[in-house]
Amino acid sequence: MIRLENVTKTYPASVRPALDDVTVDIEKGEFVFLVGSSGSGKSTFLRLLLKEEVPSGGRVHVAGKDLARLSHWKVPALRRTIGCVFQDFRLLPNKTVFQNVAFALEVIGKGSATIDKVVPEVLDLVGLDGKAGRMPDELSGGEQQRVAVARAFVNRPMILIADEPTGNLDPNTSVGIMKLLDRINRTGTTVVMATHDAAIVDSMRRRVVELSQGKVVRDQARGVYGYGA
Amino acid sequence: MRASFVLSEIGIGLRRNLTMTVAVVVTVAISLALFGAGLLIREQVGTMKDYWYDKVEVSVYLCGSGSTSSNCNGTAITPEQRTQLENDLRTTPLVQRVFYESKQDAYARFKQQFKDSPDLVQNVTPDALPESFRVKLKDPTQFEVVASAFRDRPGVDEVQDQKALLQNFFKLLNTLQLFALIVAGVQIFAAVLLISNTIRVAAFSRRRETGIMRLVGASNLYIQLPFLLEGVLAGLVGAGFASGALVALKAVLIDRLLKPNFPITAYVGWNAVLSIVPLLFLTGMLLSGLASFFTLRRHLRV
Ligand SMILES: Nc1ncnc2c1ncn2[C@@H]1O[C@H](COP(=O)(O)OP(=O)(O)OP(=O)(O)O)[C@@H](O)[C@H]1O
Ligand SMILES: [Mg+2]
Repeated sequence: MIRLENVTKTYPASVRPALDDVTVDIEKGEFVFLVGSSGSGKSTFLRLLLKEEVPSGGRVHVAGKDLARLSHWKVPALRRTIGCVFQDFRLLPNKTVFQNVAFALEVIGKGSATIDKVVPEVLDLVGLDGKAGRMPDELSGGEQQRVAVARAFVNRPMILIADEPTGNLDPNTSVGIMKLLDRINRTGTTVVMATHDAAIVDSMRRRVVELSQGKVVRDQARGVYGYGA
Repeated sequence: MRASFVLSEIGIGLRRNLTMTVAVVVTVAISLALFGAGLLIREQVGTMKDYWYDKVEVSVYLCGSGSTSSNCNGTAITPEQRTQLENDLRTTPLVQRVFYESKQDAYARFKQQFKDSPDLVQNVTPDALPESFRVKLKDPTQFEVVASAFRDRPGVDEVQDQKALLQNFFKLLNTLQLFALIVAGVQIFAAVLLISNTIRVAAFSRRRETGIMRLVGASNLYIQLPFLLEGVLAGLVGAGFASGALVALKAVLIDRLLKPNFPITAYVGWNAVLSIVPLLFLTGMLLSGLASFFTLRRHLRV
């Protein structure tokens, strides 16, 4: 589903590469944690999958496509197969929960009949039924993140990318979000999640890829956050 | 593509950026109004040329006893010379029509022309005015050919092209037109910068939305179209105002002020205005559309 072959990424302004000769293979349906200290290249890794950045060397394959050969105008189609969740939720403050999720469908040209059918379903799935009419600032952080997950998942993407989705949430709320991501993973969606949350990684016992200064220093099935096991 | 979505985005964008949008509309309106005025002046020059060139004649003044030019030498033209001259003029292929104006005819015309200044008329006798042949050319631009053929003939005092008198006036109008077009050009340049800046601000103020759009895989067209249409809409509204100004120019300045007070010439008709208006809309649309397009390419990338 996702394959990075000897990927190096050096940002124009910097000398040290953010990713250095990274090779990772992720199968369809896997759940992978990306861990590593701040600045180790986790977000860069995820941005490469979306073709928000292009690698300085090596190849990135996503959903059977070589991203280097993906022409400019096909990038939106790639992104429709990938859902994204971030630490800061990225909701539109002047739209309701329903409108926020619907927005993701509207801007890829889906009709209102589809929207009226699909959005309540996905809100139900993330446990937000009954809160469709609320504005984001009338929701708790955990609920806001659920809206973001609903928006990422409403189009039933093959891959879900999460960059520190629990970074702003308390441990209990985080567990709720993780259960949700786990459920989504069980529908067959590949999940790649960057995190600093040791408790979560340790409790889930999924594959862990650790980056340090842009290099993969550990790739472990059923791993934990720190070294060990 | 959902029209309602795009339309609501445009509405949001225009409201959010109202002051800038007004500035764009005003600048576009002024630049296009000047552009339109320049074009209208050109039409006016064309109309006047058609009108006058149809009427202007070449005057071949004949020597009288008081003529001082070297060709006359103070001797009046003889009747034989005059008959010869008239025949030659009539047989010249470039000439359409010739008629003779005697001193009496010239005096009558003079009296008519200056009937408001009786003093002037009193001091002039028919004898003081030259007799002449009034020659109408098939093609008024061929004056020089005729003039050089007849200028040195015995008994010819002077060959005068009435068109030359109009030339200065046309020059003035052409300068006016050039001035209007130059100012329009500068204004259009300012409008382009302003539109580009407005779009940039709009893109920045909506970076949250566009960021999400990009993430969920909205196409470039979908992301950029609301901005582009916003720009084009502002351009079209500006063109609308400019067209209004042009219509006012025609209805008030030309029809109400110039026509009744200076009926000596023809003026541009409404069809000239009607032919310029679509051009203004087209220019307004292209101007704002292209400015928006290139700004978006730089500031709203996938
Ligand atoms: N747009 C950019 N331009 C230049 N350098 C960048 C850019 N983005 C990231 N970097 C650099 O690349 C390196 C890796 O950054 P990245 O954001 O991938 O780290 P991270 O692992 O996500 O960190 P964190 O855990 O703090 O989110 C860092 O040294 C960072 O300074
Ligand atoms: Mg990061």
